[in-house]
Amino acid sequence: MRLLRLKVEQLRRFRQPVEIRDLDAGINLFTGPNESGKSTLVRAIRAAFFERYKSSSVEDLQPWGDSAAAPTVELEFEWQGKRWKLVKSFLKRKRCDVSVDGVAFSGEEAEDKLADLLGFEFPGRGASRPEHWGIPGLLWIEQGAGHEIHKPVEHAGSHLKSVLGSSLGEVTSSAGDALIARITKERARLLTATGRPTGDFATALEAHERLEREHADLQGRIRQYRQQVDRLGQLRDEQARDDGERIWEAYRQQARAAEVRLVEVLAWQREQERDQQALQVCQASVRTSLDLLGRFEAQRKDLHKRAADRDVAAQALAAQEARRPAVERALADARAAFEAARVAVRLAREQQQRKDLARELEQADAELAGLDQALARARELHEALLRQRGLRQTLHIDAKALARLRKAEDELARLAIRQEAVATRLQFDLREPGAVTLAGEPLHGQGERLLLEPAEIVLGQLGSLRILPGGDDIADLVRKRQGLDDDRASLLSVLGVASLAAADIRHEQCRELDGTIRRDESVLESLAPEGLEALAGRRQLKQARREELARLIAALPEPQQGGLSVSRAEVQLDGAGESLKAAEAAEAGFRSALLLATQALESARSEWSRLDGELQGADRRQHEKLAAEQLLELRANENRLEQALRERQKQIDLANPGVLRQDVERFTRSADAAEKAAEQRRLELERLKASLEALGAEGLEERSAELDVELARAVRRKDELGRRAGALDLLLVRLTDHRLQLTRQLQAPLQRHLNRYLQLLFPEASLSVDEALVPEILVRQGLDGEERGRFAELSFGAREQMGLISRLAYADLLREAGRPTLIILDDALVHSDVERLGNMKRVLFDAAQRHQILLFSCHPDSWRDLGVAPRDVAGLGMPAAPSP
Amino acid sequence: MPRFLHTADWQIGRQYARFAPEDALALAEARLSAVERLADIAHQEAVDAVLVAGDVFDAQTVSDRTIRRLFNAMGAYAGPWVLIPGNHDAALAESVWTRARRLGAVAANVHLALSAQVMAFPERGFAVLPAPLTQRQTAADETAWFDHAVTAPGLVRVGLAHGSVQGVLAEGIDSPNPIAADRAGRAALDYLALGDWHGTRRIDARTWYSGTPEQDRFKANDPGNVLLVDIPAAGAEPKVEVRAVGRHPWIELEESLAVASDLERTIARLQALPELAVVDLSLAGELHLLGRQQLEAALSVAEARFRSLRTDLSRLRLQPTEDDLAALHADGYVGRVIAELREEQEGGNAELAREAMAILAALLLETQGQGETA
Repeated sequence: MRLLRLKVEQLRRFRQPVEIRDLDAGINLFTGPNESGKSTLVRAIRAAFFERYKSSSVEDLQPWGDSAAAPTVELEFEWQGKRWKLVKSFLKRKRCDVSVDGVAFSGEEAEDKLADLLGFEFPGRGASRPEHWGIPGLLWIEQGAGHEIHKPVEHAGSHLKSVLGSSLGEVTSSAGDALIARITKERARLLTATGRPTGDFATALEAHERLEREHADLQGRIRQYRQQVDRLGQLRDEQARDDGERIWEAYRQQARAAEVRLVEVLAWQREQERDQQALQVCQASVRTSLDLLGRFEAQRKDLHKRAADRDVAAQALAAQEARRPAVERALADARAAFEAARVAVRLAREQQQRKDLARELEQADAELAGLDQALARARELHEALLRQRGLRQTLHIDAKALARLRKAEDELARLAIRQEAVATRLQFDLREPGAVTLAGEPLHGQGERLLLEPAEIVLGQLGSLRILPGGDDIADLVRKRQGLDDDRASLLSVLGVASLAAADIRHEQCRELDGTIRRDESVLESLAPEGLEALAGRRQLKQARREELARLIAALPEPQQGGLSVSRAEVQLDGAGESLKAAEAAEAGFRSALLLATQALESARSEWSRLDGELQGADRRQHEKLAAEQLLELRANENRLEQALRERQKQIDLANPGVLRQDVERFTRSADAAEKAAEQRRLELERLKASLEALGAEGLEERSAELDVELARAVRRKDELGRRAGALDLLLVRLTDHRLQLTRQLQAPLQRHLNRYLQLLFPEASLSVDEALVPEILVRQGLDGEERGRFAELSFGAREQMGLISRLAYADLLREAGRPTLIILDDALVHSDVERLGNMKRVLFDAAQRHQILLFSCHPDSWRDLGVAPRDVAGLGMPAAPSP
Repeated sequence: MPRFLHTADWQIGRQYARFAPEDALALAEARLSAVERLADIAHQEAVDAVLVAGDVFDAQTVSDRTIRRLFNAMGAYAGPWVLIPGNHDAALAESVWTRARRLGAVAANVHLALSAQVMAFPERGFAVLPAPLTQRQTAADETAWFDHAVTAPGLVRVGLAHGSVQGVLAEGIDSPNPIAADRAGRAALDYLALGDWHGTRRIDARTWYSGTPEQDRFKANDPGNVLLVDIPAAGAEPKVEVRAVGRHPWIELEESLAVASDLERTIARLQALPELAVVDLSLAGELHLLGRQQLEAALSVAEARFRSLRTDLSRLRLQPTEDDLAALHADGYVGRVIAELREEQEGGNAELAREAMAILAALLLETQGQGETA
C-alpha cells in the first residue's frame, strides 16, 4: 500500500486546504516545530480511516472556535495495482466517498471496505477507541506510545492470527484451550502439579492401603486361629491317648521295681562293708602277731650279740692291764730326769752369781781408788783457794779510785802540755856537764826546759841567770797543777800505790788472781760438787760395799770345772718337764682307758645277763607258742573273708546299683514329666479353648470375606482413578504439546523478522514472543555472557526501540500474507541515544525497502542522515506554497 | 416310605468380593433366604428329614449372628434336619459346630452329625450313615465305614457325605476328599446324598449331588436346585425330583461389536435377561463415540434391572469417525491428539489411550451439549 496524496481542509490548524503530494514509496520525513501541524496531519489520517463519517464525537477536528467547519480529509493510495481515493467529511458535511479504480462506494459501505482492507473495526457508537484500531493501531504509532506494544498487539490479535493462520495453512482448535483448562481442572482433582495423587485418588489409595493392612492383619489372625484349632485337635488326640495309657503309672511301677532291687543290692553292699571291716581287723591282727614273733626272734639274735660284746670287752680290758708296767716305769724315769735337771739349773745360777759379784768387786776397788785421788786433789785445791783468796784480799784496789787517778793523771798531762805551750822554752846545749844548774838542777848536754815559774839558772861560776816566764794564766796553770797534784797524791795515797803505773800493775795482779781462783773453784766443784765432806762420805760408802762384796763372794762355792751354763741347764730342765708331762698324761690316759674297759665289760655283762634271764623265763616260752598258734588261726580267717568278699562283689557288680539308681530316677522323672506334660496339656487345652472361643466369636473369616468385598471395591476404585488420572495426565501432556508445537509454528516467521531487525541493533540478540505474539524476553550477549530481560522490565528507550522493531516485524508478516501495510511514526525514538538512534535509522531504512513510512519529528537534525529530504510541515499552511 | 429333602453347599457367610458391596450383601442374604425357602418346602412337602450334605457354612469363623440367623432360617420345618460338616466347615477340634452348640443356637430337631456314627430314626423308618469331614482335607474315603455299618433291619439306609466321587467328576475337582463311586451299592445304601458339587448331578440311581440351592458362581452346571427324594421302601430305587429354588441366576454374556447393528443386538440381549440375574457382560471390538453414548445409556437401564451387572469394556476400542470429530468440533490440535490416541488404542499403552479417548470424548460431548443448549 502506498499513500500517494493527502489533502486536509478545515481541520484544526489547517482552516485552508493543505495538500501533500508525491509521497515516496519508502520513508517520508515530516519535520517542523511544535504546534506546526504534524499531529494534525496524523490525526487527519487516523480520523479518515477510524472515525465514522457520521460520528458527532469528532469535534476536536474542527478548527478552534469554528463550529461551522466541515473537517475534510482526502486521501489517495495505491494497493495491488488499484488506485483508491477516499474523501471523508465530518460534522457540518457528513460524507464518505471511496472510489477504487473508478468504482465508487459511499457511506458506511465505503467505510467498511476500508476497515476490511486495513483490518480494523468501527465502534458501535461514539469515537473510535484503541480496541477498534486493529492492525493500523499497531502500525501507526502515536506520539509517546511507541514503547507500548502489549495492548496494540492484543487489539490486532484476531486480525494478526487470522492472517498468520491462513498463511500457515492451518487452523487452531477452536475448543482446544477450553478443553485444556477443563482437563487441567479434572486432573488437578486427582493429581498434584508434580503428579502425586491427591483428592479422591489419594483417598482411594489410602483406603486401599488401609484395607490391605486390615486384610493382612485379619489373614494373620485367621492363620493363627487355624493353627490354634489344629493345635487343639492335636492336644485332644494326645490327651485321649495318654489318658488311656496312663503311661506315668507304668513308669512309677518300673521305678518301684528298680527301687526294690536297689534296696536288696544296697543290703549286699552293707554286708560287704562289714566284711571288709572284719577283714581289715583280721589283717591288722595278723600283722600284730607277726610283729610279736618277729620281736621274739630279734631278741634271740640280740642275746647272741650281747654275749659277743661282753667277750670283746673282757679282751679289751686285759689288753689295757697289760700296758700298766710300761706306763708306770716311764713315768718314774721322767720324774728322775726332771729332778736332775732342776739341780743342774740351781748350780748354774750360783756360779753365775759369784761371777757377777766378783766383777762388781773389781769395779768397786777401781772406784775406791778414783775417790781417794779426787779427795786428795780436792783438799789441795781447797788449801790453794784459801791462800789465793787471802792474797787477793791484800791486792785489792779500788777500781773507782783508780779511774779517778787515771783521770787526774790525764788532766795533769793536758796541763803540762798547756804549760809547755805557754812556758818559756829553755833550750840548752852544754859541753861541761853539770856546770850549769837550773833551779838547782844540773843541766848537761843538750836539752830543753820549759820554765813556768821564775827559775834561776846558775851558770856555775859564772853567776846565775833569772828567768821569769811571761803570760797571765801561767799562774793559773800552776795552781791547777798544784791542785791536781794534790788530788793525785791523795789518790795515790788512798790506793796505796806510788804511781798510777803501780796502781795499774796491782790491778792487773788482782785480775790474774781472780782468774786463778775461779779455775780452782770450778775444778773443785767438779771433784766434789757436794763438797769435800760428801766426797769423803761417798768414799766411805764405797768402802763398805767393797767389803760386803768380798764377804758374799767368799760365801759362794768355788767355781767348778765343766759346769753347765744357766741357759743350757734351763733348756734341759724344760725338756725334762715336757717328758714328765707326757708321761703323766700317758699314765692318766691309761687309767681312764682301763676304767672304760672295765665299765664296758661290766655293762656288757649285765646286759647279757639281763636278756639271758628274760629269755630263759618260763612264761616267755608260753607266750611265744601262743602267738604262733594265733597267727595260724588269723590267716585262715583272712582267707575266708577274702573269698566271701570277692564273691559278693561279683554279685553286686552284676546287679549294678548305679544303673539301678539311675533307673529309679529315670522312671520317676519320666512319670513326673508325663504327668506334668499331661497337666500342661490340660492347661493349654483350656487356654486354647478359651482363646478359640473368643476368636471364633469375632467371626474372623466372615469379616475377612466382607473385607475382601471392600478391598476389591477399593482396588477397583483405585485402579479406576489411577487409570483416569493417567489418562488425564496423558491428555494434558498431549494437548499441551500439540498446542505448543502449533504456537511455535505460528511464532516462527515473526521471530524471523524480529531477529533480522534486532541484529541491526544488537548483534547476536534475540527477542522471543509469547503465545499472543507479544515480545516477551530480550536475550543479548553482554560482557558477562547472556543477559535476559523481560520486555516490560527494559528501559523506556529500549522498550520504544523494541516496540518499533516488533511493529516492523508485524508489518513484514502482514506484507508476506498479502496485507496492506502503512507505517506512521509520530515523534518516534525521542528517548534513544545517538548510537541507538543511528542503528534504528538503519532499521527504518531497511523496513522502508518494503513498507511506506511516514515519520513526523520536531527534531529535523536527528533525522538528517535518514537518506530523504525532510518536508517542513510549518510551510504547508502557506498559501503561497506552489505545488511542483 | 421315607421322603427326604436333599440339599448341600449352602455356604452361609459367603461374600462376593467381585461385586459392589450392596450387591454382595444382597447375594449373601439370598443364601439365607434360600434356606428359608427350603424349610418352607420341607414343611409343605412333609418330608421325613432334610439331609444337608456339608458346606453348610462357608467358613469356620462366621459371626455369631450369622450362625444364629442360619438356625433361625431353618425354623419353618420342625422335623429332623441332619447336617454334616464339609470341607469348609469341617468338624475340627474347634469348629463352627462347637460354637453353634455353645451358643445354644442348635434346635433340638437339628442333628449335627459330627462323628461317623449311625443316626437311627426308627419312628420315621430310616437311619442316616454320616461321613462328616473332621479335617479340612482328607485323602481317605470317609464313607468306607458305611460298608460295615449295621442298621436295624427294615430301616432305610441313607448315606450322607461330602466330597468328590472318584472317576466321575473329572473336571474341576478341588476337593481331595474322595468317595468311591460304587459306595451306595457296596454299603447297601438306599440313597447316598452328596455335597460339594455345586450343580445338581445324578451319579447313579441312588447317588446324587443336590447342588447348591442358590447359585454362587458363573458356572452353568445346573445349580439352584433342591432334591425331593422318595424312597418307597428299603431297597427300592428312590424317586428323585429336582426342584428349582434359586433366585439369582448367574449369567455371563460375551459380545463382539463390529458393525452398528451389533450394538443393538447386544442391547436387545441384555434386555432379554431375567430380572434379579447376576450378569457379567464383556464387550470386545470397536465402537464409535456416539455408539458409546448409546451403550452407556443401555447399561445404565440394565444395571437397575439386574441384581448385579458387571461390565468389562477393556477390550472395546473407541473409534471416533469423521462424523464424530465433525460433530464434536474436534479440530486443530485437538483433532490431532484424537488421531494419536485412536492409533495408540492398539499399542502397549492401549488401556491408558482408551481411557484418555473416553474422557476426551465425554468432555467434548459435554461441551458440545452445552454449546447446543446455550
